[in-house]
Amino acid sequence: MSLNKVDREAVPEMPNRLGLSGIEFIEYATSRPQALGQVLENMGFRPVARHRSREVTLYRQGDMNLVVNANPDDARVSGTVDGQPVISAVAFRVQDALKAHNRCMDLGAWSVGSHAQAMELHIPAIHGPGGSRFYFVDRWQEFSIYDIDFKPIPTVDPNPPALAGMGYFGVVQYIGAARSADWQTYYEHMFDFSSIPDEERFGILPKGKLMKSPCGTFLWQLVEPDIWMDGDDSPECLQRIGFGVPNVAEAVAALKARGVEFVESTQLHPEDRGALTRNTLGSVAFELVHK
Amino acid sequence: MNLLDGYGMDTITMAGTLEAKLAAMKGAGFSQVMLMARDLVTHPGGVKAAVAAVHASGMRPTGFQVLRDFEGLSGHLHSYKLDIAKSMLEMCAATGSKVLLACSSTSRHATQDLDLIAADLKKLAMLAVPLGINVAYEALSWGRTVNEFPTSWDVVCRADCPNLGIGLDSFHIFAAKTPLDAIEELDPSKIFLVQLSDFMWQETPTFEERMTTARTFRVFPGEGVHSEQLADLVLRLDRIGYRGDYSFEVFNDDYQQLPLETVAERARKSATWLHQDVLHKSAPLPDWARQRA
Repeated sequence: MSLNKVDREAVPEMPNRLGLSGIEFIEYATSRPQALGQVLENMGFRPVARHRSREVTLYRQGDMNLVVNANPDDARVSGTVDGQPVISAVAFRVQDALKAHNRCMDLGAWSVGSHAQAMELHIPAIHGPGGSRFYFVDRWQEFSIYDIDFKPIPTVDPNPPALAGMGYFGVVQYIGAARSADWQTYYEHMFDFSSIPDEERFGILPKGKLMKSPCGTFLWQLVEPDIWMDGDDSPECLQRIGFGVPNVAEAVAALKARGVEFVESTQLHPEDRGALTRNTLGSVAFELVHK
Repeated sequence: MNLLDGYGMDTITMAGTLEAKLAAMKGAGFSQVMLMARDLVTHPGGVKAAVAAVHASGMRPTGFQVLRDFEGLSGHLHSYKLDIAKSMLEMCAATGSKVLLACSSTSRHATQDLDLIAADLKKLAMLAVPLGINVAYEALSWGRTVNEFPTSWDVVCRADCPNLGIGLDSFHIFAAKTPLDAIEELDPSKIFLVQLSDFMWQETPTFEERMTTARTFRVFPGEGVHSEQLADLVLRLDRIGYRGDYSFEVFNDDYQQLPLETVAERARKSATWLHQDVLHKSAPLPDWARQRA
């Protein structure tokens, strides 16, 4: 019989049963791709490639990939909200995309059918909140998935550096009243996200419930309507992206110089913790968070 | 504020078209309705027209019924039931119902392992999360493994999922003679639906008798021989803090051949009895007093 002191309290490791390893890309759907493209370029993204068969453009800066989908079938969801762009998908890097998809199906996810054309990648997906989707991508180490579905835009640097060191930090999801527990359980169960105590907060909008990915590379924030917004039954959605930056003040200065406007309010406490861009195109805002 | 706001009728109680049923309920003063999948799929205009009729009526759906024999299956039976469940959830969401009723399995092909049953119900609840639906799991009194509410509550606790709770049906509680003391064990926030009905027999010892009575000869609360028990049940639920809806789940062959207004009027009397004589809630203030306030 051996007594191992280390095992005595069985400190659990964070389970990561999908082998989650960060965000591969985030997708917007819009019927106004040029207007959104301009907003993204102001934020430091560069268009680097176009989809082979559909009206889809890949933007990039640093290690962030951002896809603008103006394919009529996909952009229709945007058309229903006055042409406002919507975050239509988040693609997670996982150990094995098929296994991840199968596991989620076993746990009660809704599968999304593929529209891949000949020689294109079939990226498995499940339905997320509102009309959004979660994709699972496993081939992000040996080669780039974009080399298959996309054609590079000629003469453009395919790997533009990140402005002010920006990288994906998290996603804010708006949810219905009293729905925090439902979604927390959903993300714990599906993706092994774990809840962060209410005392621990990042950025400048410390509302709602905060969850952390098991890989520790991004956060997920669930925001219910305020109690006084009685009857706010707007649909649930992925509301905005948060970028992590090493120095908020420098990032704000660099973005302001490019024409990005920030929310200046005494209710927010920008200091050096974070900043929020003004809504553009009716629905597009970004948050900067000190990393 | 309407005296009848916390009470609703089931479409299964009345004959006629969905529109006629909704109009009769509304005419009797009800503002909510328990819908059945059949209301949608048998509508001459199809599911979309039925959904439009519900929205146009202004009636709030109490819930949507019923998913049967879902849990405990394996292999192709499980896959088949999963497809059925998805269709039910989609129809439930289309009507704006926040509650899907799932009844305990009667199938001899289903496992009796409560942990496996709980895992299947958690899967159902996960499917319901993106649609904003709560799943109410109800113990049918002729369910094979789960046939009394303390067991359905046990399963719900094992699944430990915020949008999975229980549905209570007074018929099944009285038919199985489940002691009401177990109500004290329930978390009122996890009771997602309470369906009330009475019936005329004192005893329903066999599953067959329970099924026949349940499907043809239930009556409204206060009309049968279990009124005292029913009052006791409602008072106990009120005492533990249940503030959700009461829906009248009254299958009755006679009511199926009466004018809809007559049936709705019986339901209104029943709701009034529950509200004023059983729960002793105050009647709404008369108009002149409300205007002054």
